Amino acid sequence: MKYQYSSSDNNKMDIWGVFFYILLVAIGFINIFSVTSDVNQTSLVLSDIAYKQLFFIGGAIVIILTLSFANVVLIDYLSYYVYAIVILLNIAVLFIGKEVGGAKSWFGFGGFGIQPSEFLKLATSMALAKFLGGYGMRFSGWRNVTYSIGIFLFPVILILLQNDTGSALVYFSFFLVLYREGMPGYIIILAFWMGLLTILSIVFQGLEISSYYLVGTILGVGSIAVYFARKSRQWVVLITFIAVSSAVFSTIVGIVYDKVFQWYQKDRIEIVLGLKEDKQGMGYNLDQSKVAIGAGRFIGRGFQNGTQTKMGFVPEQHTDFIFCTIGEEWGFVGVIVFFSAFLGLLIRLIQLSERQSDAYGRILGYSVCCILFFHWFVNIGMTIGLIPVIGIPLPFVSAGGSSLWGFTLLLFTFLRYDQVRRN
Amino acid sequence: MQDVHKNRSRVFVVGLSFVFLLFLYRIGTLQLVDDKYEKRAINNALNKITLYPARSVIYDRFGKIIAKNAASYDLFIFPKEEKVDNRLFIQQILQIDSNQYNKLLTEAWINSKKRQKNNAYNRSAIFYSNLNQQQYTALRENLYRLSGFYIEPRTDRAYEIFGGAHAFGYLGEASEQLLKEDPYYQPGDLVGITGIERYYEEFMRGTKGIKTVWQDRTYKQRGEVQDQAFNYPAKSGPDFYATIDIELQKFAEELFNGKRGSVVAIEPSTGEVLAFLNKPDYNPNDLVGQDRARSFRKMLIDPKKPLYNRAVKGVYPPGSTVKTVLALIGLQEGIIHPGSTKGCGGGYRMGNIVVGCHPHGGPLDVVGSIRISCNSYYCGLFREIIDHPKYGSTHNGYRVLERYWRSFGLGDPTGIDLLGESSGNVPTVERLAKRHGKKWRSSMVISLGIGQGEILLTPLQLANVAAILANRGYYIPPHLLKKVNGLKNNGLKEEYRTKKIIPIDAKHFETVIEGMSQVMKPGGTANGIGINGIEICGKTGTAQNPHGKDHSLFIAFAPRNNPKIAIGVIVENGGFGATYAAPIASLMIEKYLMRDTASSKQFMIDRLKSTVLEPQ
Repeated sequence: MKYQYSSSDNNKMDIWGVFFYILLVAIGFINIFSVTSDVNQTSLVLSDIAYKQLFFIGGAIVIILTLSFANVVLIDYLSYYVYAIVILLNIAVLFIGKEVGGAKSWFGFGGFGIQPSEFLKLATSMALAKFLGGYGMRFSGWRNVTYSIGIFLFPVILILLQNDTGSALVYFSFFLVLYREGMPGYIIILAFWMGLLTILSIVFQGLEISSYYLVGTILGVGSIAVYFARKSRQWVVLITFIAVSSAVFSTIVGIVYDKVFQWYQKDRIEIVLGLKEDKQGMGYNLDQSKVAIGAGRFIGRGFQNGTQTKMGFVPEQHTDFIFCTIGEEWGFVGVIVFFSAFLGLLIRLIQLSERQSDAYGRILGYSVCCILFFHWFVNIGMTIGLIPVIGIPLPFVSAGGSSLWGFTLLLFTFLRYDQVRRN
Repeated sequence: MQDVHKNRSRVFVVGLSFVFLLFLYRIGTLQLVDDKYEKRAINNALNKITLYPARSVIYDRFGKIIAKNAASYDLFIFPKEEKVDNRLFIQQILQIDSNQYNKLLTEAWINSKKRQKNNAYNRSAIFYSNLNQQQYTALRENLYRLSGFYIEPRTDRAYEIFGGAHAFGYLGEASEQLLKEDPYYQPGDLVGITGIERYYEEFMRGTKGIKTVWQDRTYKQRGEVQDQAFNYPAKSGPDFYATIDIELQKFAEELFNGKRGSVVAIEPSTGEVLAFLNKPDYNPNDLVGQDRARSFRKMLIDPKKPLYNRAVKGVYPPGSTVKTVLALIGLQEGIIHPGSTKGCGGGYRMGNIVVGCHPHGGPLDVVGSIRISCNSYYCGLFREIIDHPKYGSTHNGYRVLERYWRSFGLGDPTGIDLLGESSGNVPTVERLAKRHGKKWRSSMVISLGIGQGEILLTPLQLANVAAILANRGYYIPPHLLKKVNGLKNNGLKEEYRTKKIIPIDAKHFETVIEGMSQVMKPGGTANGIGINGIEICGKTGTAQNPHGKDHSLFIAFAPRNNPKIAIGVIVENGGFGATYAAPIASLMIEKYLMRDTASSKQFMIDRLKSTVLEPQ
């Protein structure tokens, strides 16, 4: 491969980054090929979907080659413009896009479609890097914090309007970037606490226990804590504040959950939380997905032998649920190889980010890393039943052009930047 | 610029690694703990399709095909895949209303669940069995759009010759109980319900085969599993040769037209049943295919009881036919000798009891008493036997007599290869005590001597007595299986190859047989019913019965030397033995031995065929 030419100072593009990328794309292609091949097929005939994926990989190579000529100064300089243009595209798609699977997020070009939200991640990363990486910028002060968060929360609204809940979730990964850039750690703890309260509220709702019990428990525990900390006024205030706000928060969550969510959304959530057993209805996909992975055992059932995935028991078996094929056909060994490649890439990205000479590169690198991590987390968590079924692709592995090209663009923009700007 | 948060990169590396390990642990619990998911995956994707074997083809003793197999089609369903949109269409084709449809669907759900318990590979269940040609064609053409439905071919009976219904039996769907007891069967399977179809079900059904196919989530078949361990063909039931001579059988059925009763003919030397007939009977062809259930219900409530197997279940007083047996016992016990004579004043008198006898001349010896069928002779003989001082008491004497009777296969099932055979009735001393008081005397049970009273035989037992007489003292339990090629001993049980010996000397048989031969000659009770050139030995019986006119009975065998056929005939309410039973037996013997009947007999045949005793 010729990723290394034309760099301005004879640096090569990071070999490990490229290696893990190739490994992941190859894993993806092998499994797409396998899962879409004919039943009882042992010859190497490519399915239509596998052919398409080959074409998309070709396209990805073109993107990489193009990027390797890109002027990194321009990347930095154009950040806000890219952000603005992509935001505009995402607004436009709301009006002139076509609907695919309930999500109005595609531009159709003949037989092809492009999902502008796939490029919004990169644009947002660039804009955030540009904003936070400005000279003398500190992540403190209401104005800065509001702007930073606004940069990635605005896209969330657009994507929610496009009816693509899964992708919207990914933008919360920027909180991790903010953490690296100095956001206080307690906010992360707070987020965990809120998450816990949310889950508890839903459990109470799901079990049809009055939310007064939850609120009562929170306030009760708070009162006991206040009693023990009664000597310090500071603590009393803090604990009281936390307890009261938690109670209010969980009450609101309970009401919102009850009134706002549709019954099928509630079903999904409650099945994941183990409140509902429904192997034929909503839980079917989840159940079959677990069966597929579990069936792989240690060494897997072998290439093209995954009946769970091949015969359609697992839905979306070549896109969102592609991990099931890895689990079923390559077993625990295959999962370890795939996880190693993915974790390897993420850690390499952290290393690369940390060696950047400027904050822009570092923030861009962390954004890329966190977005990839979040995708992996939600996607795998969904297939193994830890997270509700949320349609979101597995980076580099799931079939589909928009996702492959979007992630390639994301990764290689940073690798190109790194190639030129590293210390 | 100073980067004060550089150490947080380590938090990232540790945090990410932790999450990866957490997920890996979770996946490990799915993949490495046990193989339950692997099993479920296999169960999901494989469908074991049953290949139905053809049942044994049934031949008669000469190799004529009686029953073979015809393809029939059942509609199966994967209840989960059933679509509301298709209901109307299916209801129209099957000509059922929506209530019936829902009922069938509910049953299919239940069966589908059951099937999953037994055989996890198949979630389908029978929906509608035995499609007729029109339904089959219409459904097959539209199957591609009838989600969840498929058609499974299997075999049903097709009869070449409509006869011997009670011997061969019929098929029906496996009962709830059978399904519980034997996992081989699935709902909708056809099994033998009666006759040899039932008795030899285990090998007549053949062996089901299995074709294993890949199936996707929508139950579409996606090709066969290549592994041979998953596929084996169905094995047809082996050819079944019955002992029945179907020509004789059909001939007898015609003669019996319009009458009620039963005929069993046996080859004495082997115990093979040559003809086995009950009237009223049914057309076996009515109990196949779609009409099976409807015809069956109709027959069940038919007052003529066409399904009733009189030959093994019906019990009749044997009347004079068993005088032959009593004579043998008397001779063997030395109570009489062939020349012993008794007088008869037109009846047997004891005090004020009179057993009537028809007018005949002079005192009779054993031979004569059989020829004439003298009631006085046998009433006397009966008392002489059981009251004989050498036994100590009448009851002991009766026990000796009863033992002899039982050695003739009376009072116990003969062991024919049919289920539900009756024992008939030979009363024990205790039984008689219940009826006549503890201190019963010979005079109270005297009618047993002439085959009346408590003694009751099945037509099969009657025919078996004829076979014993023909064999001069032994019999092989009658059976309907001649041979099944490829099975050990041709499929014949040990008992069908073993003689049962009657403890009576052959010379005594000759005396009785001489009497039976004279029955057919001038002065005999069945004079003029014999056949030119073949010496028939017979004995008439006219049994009184509480339900109406006397039953007409006849037992016979022929030829006298080296007998080929023994026969027992009962024509209910037919009057004298010689009126119907004897001519039917004689014609059957002629038909069997000569393969045809003399033209001079045509008159007799026509008379029998057209005589209707039972109102139709």
